[in-house]
Amino acid sequence: MLSVFKDSFLQTALVASLIVGAVCAYLGVYVVLRRIVFVGAALAQVSSAGVGLAMCTGKNPSLVSLILTLGGVAAFSVKSKDRRTTQESLIGIGYAVASALAVLFVAKSAQGEAHMLDVLSGNILTVTSHEVWWMTGVGLAAVMLHALLSKQFLFSMFDPETAQASGIRAGWWDLLFFLILGIIISLAIRLAGTLLVFAFLVVPAVTGLLLSQRLGRVCAIAVGASAVATIIGLYASVKMDLPSGPAIVAVLFAVLLVAWVIAKIR
Amino acid sequence: MRGRGEKPRPLLKRDKAMKDSSITHKADCQHTTEMLAFEHADLGYGRRTVLGDLDLVLYEGDFLGIVGPNGTGKTTILKAMLGILKPMSGQVRRNGMARFGYVPQRQFIDEVFPLTVTDVALMGRYTRLGVFARPSRRDRDSVLECLRHVGIADLATRPYRELSGGQKQRTLIARALAAEPKVMILDEPTNDMDIGSEHAIMELLKHLHDEDNITIVMVSHLLNVVVNYAKKLALIDGGLRMVGSTTEVLSSRNLSDIYEVPVEVASFGGKIVVLTGGEDA
Repeated sequence: MLSVFKDSFLQTALVASLIVGAVCAYLGVYVVLRRIVFVGAALAQVSSAGVGLAMCTGKNPSLVSLILTLGGVAAFSVKSKDRRTTQESLIGIGYAVASALAVLFVAKSAQGEAHMLDVLSGNILTVTSHEVWWMTGVGLAAVMLHALLSKQFLFSMFDPETAQASGIRAGWWDLLFFLILGIIISLAIRLAGTLLVFAFLVVPAVTGLLLSQRLGRVCAIAVGASAVATIIGLYASVKMDLPSGPAIVAVLFAVLLVAWVIAKIR
Repeated sequence: MRGRGEKPRPLLKRDKAMKDSSITHKADCQHTTEMLAFEHADLGYGRRTVLGDLDLVLYEGDFLGIVGPNGTGKTTILKAMLGILKPMSGQVRRNGMARFGYVPQRQFIDEVFPLTVTDVALMGRYTRLGVFARPSRRDRDSVLECLRHVGIADLATRPYRELSGGQKQRTLIARALAAEPKVMILDEPTNDMDIGSEHAIMELLKHLHDEDNITIVMVSHLLNVVVNYAKKLALIDGGLRMVGSTTEVLSSRNLSDIYEVPVEVASFGGKIVVLTGGEDA
């Protein structure tokens, strides 16, 4: 198996996928528990729209994507007090509009629709080592910050009212979590594409939740599942000449199925 | 786990100090130390006032039951007590020396979280820790002691979501105790419980009040439960209609007025029973 990864661009792709997978899988556990899975999808689309806008205007894609994603974070994290609508509907609108904008921006850009496929499904094989270093640094910082402050994040998500009554400002911790998530998504999208990032956020977390009743173990299983799926998926994509992102997602799903069977048998 | 009728264990070191202080207060100055006071407070959301011109003082040693019809502001007053809701006007003063513990309605807790009973109870220690600090051995021991005190030490490693309603309620009470509170505020602590669990939870609260000198405030729509344990009652109906000792407040006329149905207050086997129906009061 290792011989498949002898080329340096494949080694870079493997490292990039492993890092994106590990960071997204860890944060994804909290995304699933906080019941904001769709926020992950919407932020990924907003980030894509940012890339499209940058392509259209000739600006730095990472910067534009980050700015738009942080705007999405601000919009999606606000709890609507209007009883006629729900926060979910706002997120749904954000998802639809961002998806449409991404397509419209790219259609009008000089690079054209070929680039659009990279944005949506990702092309991890074209990642540069510079991008990997960026992702590693920011991803590590995000996970460490989250782990260090995990008790506040956890209390705010699990029981916001009691957290608030105990002096923990649940709203602010929620916003900080959304910010961390937004930054990671906007960076990861550039490496792995919308599809793979969203899959990394949701599938490994659910795999972990199926296999364990302890939060620490759930996070460890999620990260492990993302690593296993990344290695097998990338190997299969090279061997069978398949697009890398969808191949990894397919393996993620296979791992999830195995976990589901194990959970049923136990 | 302790049986339903079994008496709770006394608390250890920390609580001995609390007990000692309670003896002084009971002997010398019971009902003189203010724990919380509303002064001409208007409470509400946005521009909508739910409770107007509220004057209410909670003293150390009180066991206050807040009762009233649905939608009249019971939860609003509780949120203001906890500091979650700021008054629109007037003020809410909290005793800065007293720590408050809160026990929410267990139905509002999201059970998707893979947390053990200990994990949940440990959250009570979080505000005592620094921003980046992890719970220490001492914190874990203290939490275990709280679990023991509420009779669920043997469930410490069990997933919270697998517990019965009564066990979950005990876990949330243990979490509030882990903060070492002087005041414990509970929102509908016996909602949706069978009568055995309901009795056990109320006996536990009685024990915390009588033996551990914790001031208790509970909101409940279950009149028959509250009136047999609370020493004071506050009748809420869009404002504070009446507050006083349970015997003063609890009359057929007061309850009939506030609930707008004929209510009878009777005694049966040493317990107070509140009945609805019959002739108009």
